[in-house]
Amino acid sequence: MANRPGGAMASRPLHFIWMVDCSGSMAADGKVQSLNSAIREALPHMADVARENPNAELLLRAVAFSNGARWHVANPMPVSEFRWDDVEAAGMTDMGKAFRTVADQLRVPPMSERALPPVLALLSDGQPSDDWQTGLAELMAQPWGKKAVRIAIAIGADADHDVLSRFIGNPELRPLQANNPEALVRHIRWVSTVVLQSASAPGTQQADGSPITSNVVIPPSDPAGSGPTSATDVW
Amino acid sequence: MTGVLRPGQTVGTVGSPTRCKVGRLLGGGGQGEVYEADLGGRPVALKWYHRHTATAKQRKALEQLIAKGSPADQFLWPLFLAEEPGIPSYGYVMALRDSRFRNTSDLMTRRIEPTFRCVATAAFHLASAFLELHARGLCYCDISFSNIFIDPQNGDIRICDNDNVGIDRAADAAVGGTPRFMAPEIVRCERKPCRETDQYSLAVLLFYMLVMHHPLEGAHEAAIRCMDVPAMNMIYGKEPLFIFDPANPSNAPVPGIHGNAIEFWPLYPSFLRALFVQSFTDGLRDTQRRVTDSQWRKALVRLRDAIMHCDRCGSELFYESDPSEAAGRRCWSCRAPLHNPWRLTIGGQAVVLNGDTRLYPHHLHAAPTYDFTAPAAEVTRHPTDPNVWGLKNLTSATWTMTVAGGDVREVPPGRSLPLAVGTRIAFGSVDGVIEG
Repeated sequence: MANRPGGAMASRPLHFIWMVDCSGSMAADGKVQSLNSAIREALPHMADVARENPNAELLLRAVAFSNGARWHVANPMPVSEFRWDDVEAAGMTDMGKAFRTVADQLRVPPMSERALPPVLALLSDGQPSDDWQTGLAELMAQPWGKKAVRIAIAIGADADHDVLSRFIGNPELRPLQANNPEALVRHIRWVSTVVLQSASAPGTQQADGSPITSNVVIPPSDPAGSGPTSATDVW
Repeated sequence: MTGVLRPGQTVGTVGSPTRCKVGRLLGGGGQGEVYEADLGGRPVALKWYHRHTATAKQRKALEQLIAKGSPADQFLWPLFLAEEPGIPSYGYVMALRDSRFRNTSDLMTRRIEPTFRCVATAAFHLASAFLELHARGLCYCDISFSNIFIDPQNGDIRICDNDNVGIDRAADAAVGGTPRFMAPEIVRCERKPCRETDQYSLAVLLFYMLVMHHPLEGAHEAAIRCMDVPAMNMIYGKEPLFIFDPANPSNAPVPGIHGNAIEFWPLYPSFLRALFVQSFTDGLRDTQRRVTDSQWRKALVRLRDAIMHCDRCGSELFYESDPSEAAGRRCWSCRAPLHNPWRLTIGGQAVVLNGDTRLYPHHLHAAPTYDFTAPAAEVTRHPTDPNVWGLKNLTSATWTMTVAGGDVREVPPGRSLPLAVGTRIAFGSVDGVIEG
């Protein structure tokens, strides 16, 4: 017999989608292996954030893009059931198709009418090889695409910061530069925890009282994370 | 997971000759890392700040908190500053949280299933702890799920992250608070955290724990698609409206979305609901009208005393002393109609007499000191006739009982009086009467 009536407190879904570049260049210098490892390492930390935010029902998915784009994890999964099977690198950088694939899933339905802002985390090491502008326009035409917190991580020196900035669409948020595996781990951890926390409980004010310019306040990432390329950087 | 400190190394403690031996890394956050540690054989926790959060201001605040000392046992209060030459930054030593304590978010997601008595007890301890904190001129600034822990067996609580505690009003608060818990005037950037904003956050947390829902999330919240900053600002800051505002029902909870609010709210006695109404109507707008910690403490003790059991299925229910409110009540579990339980009424307030009821010194004396370690009386069963119940005198004073017929008898310490409707008991400074 239950001790008390009712159920878990009311929550809203929070869709978190990894958008992962699996182009051939990701095979160089172990970048794709680092990415696989960093995402898997981040999952327990994501689970901790999810646990401390009962208002949010975290649901994870992943899109992989190279020659075209495909759902690497198609069904929205709670973090406790989410498995990251390694992605492999081969082919082109069809980022536009990734945008379109995600846009399709941000329509209502399948998206619910009520939710927390989705989080779209884009990781790329190069120049898009397809028509990314049209794809991005389709994504931004969806109300949930527009409301999404869009974060980008530039892997290595060849990533296209202009495209990533256009995807982010917020002059206050720059792409995070990962010049080595440690930085990639740090950035993926930041997206998985700090950004996830912000989307779970969108801050209602800035600490310094300054006006809010985006629909979710994202605290700055660790300054050490975006430092300049140094002699020890692998990528 | 690796941190700045290594297991086995020691760090110095300021103001104590004992060095602190670092153990396992327990976790990390935006401010720093927390380790298990050992201080002269005593298991403790050691928080070590990140370099960029280890400011001179934070250090001074910690020194002040350590000098003031912990307001109550429930706070995992800073005990000593810790530092070590050659290691950047600094830290502090605090009591270690026992593993029996679970985060309040586990309560909200039903990962723990305490009884109503346990939740009411935890709520009482919270109000008591913040009363003690505020009495010392301090404010907590960040009451939320993540800082409050509860023992689901008995309702004991622990409050962590006390390094953000500030001197009330002097505090240039490092934190504005946690979304959904922040007072509307903080959300609107009109004020900084202070005692009154703590009182608002406490009322939100108590409502969450007892009603399993947020007090402002009703029809207005349901109508919003994307809960982002503009939406949060509206619901929790610019246009806050209580879901059970008697003067404005436009934000009532929506069936199918806000089920817990609809189910839990009517179960509670009217005196408790009235405090929530005050907190989230007048108290939303006027900080002077917020329910104080001592009002909560008194009401939550009364809530514990109102717990009764369903005649049919044994589920916990609450006694309602207002006949107009009590009419037509049914058990939330088996839907059986509720009957008034036997109760002892002292000074107009009822204590339901269950098989395990105990009375404490605050019931028998006017002075409100709450000590649940030494009961003053307990309901007992007759040693030879299990159908006869009594109230045993656990004090050192003799009580006088007057039965309904007028006979007067003495009840010396250690003896029990039989429970019978109409019996009056003179406990010394207060009188009680058994009602049924």
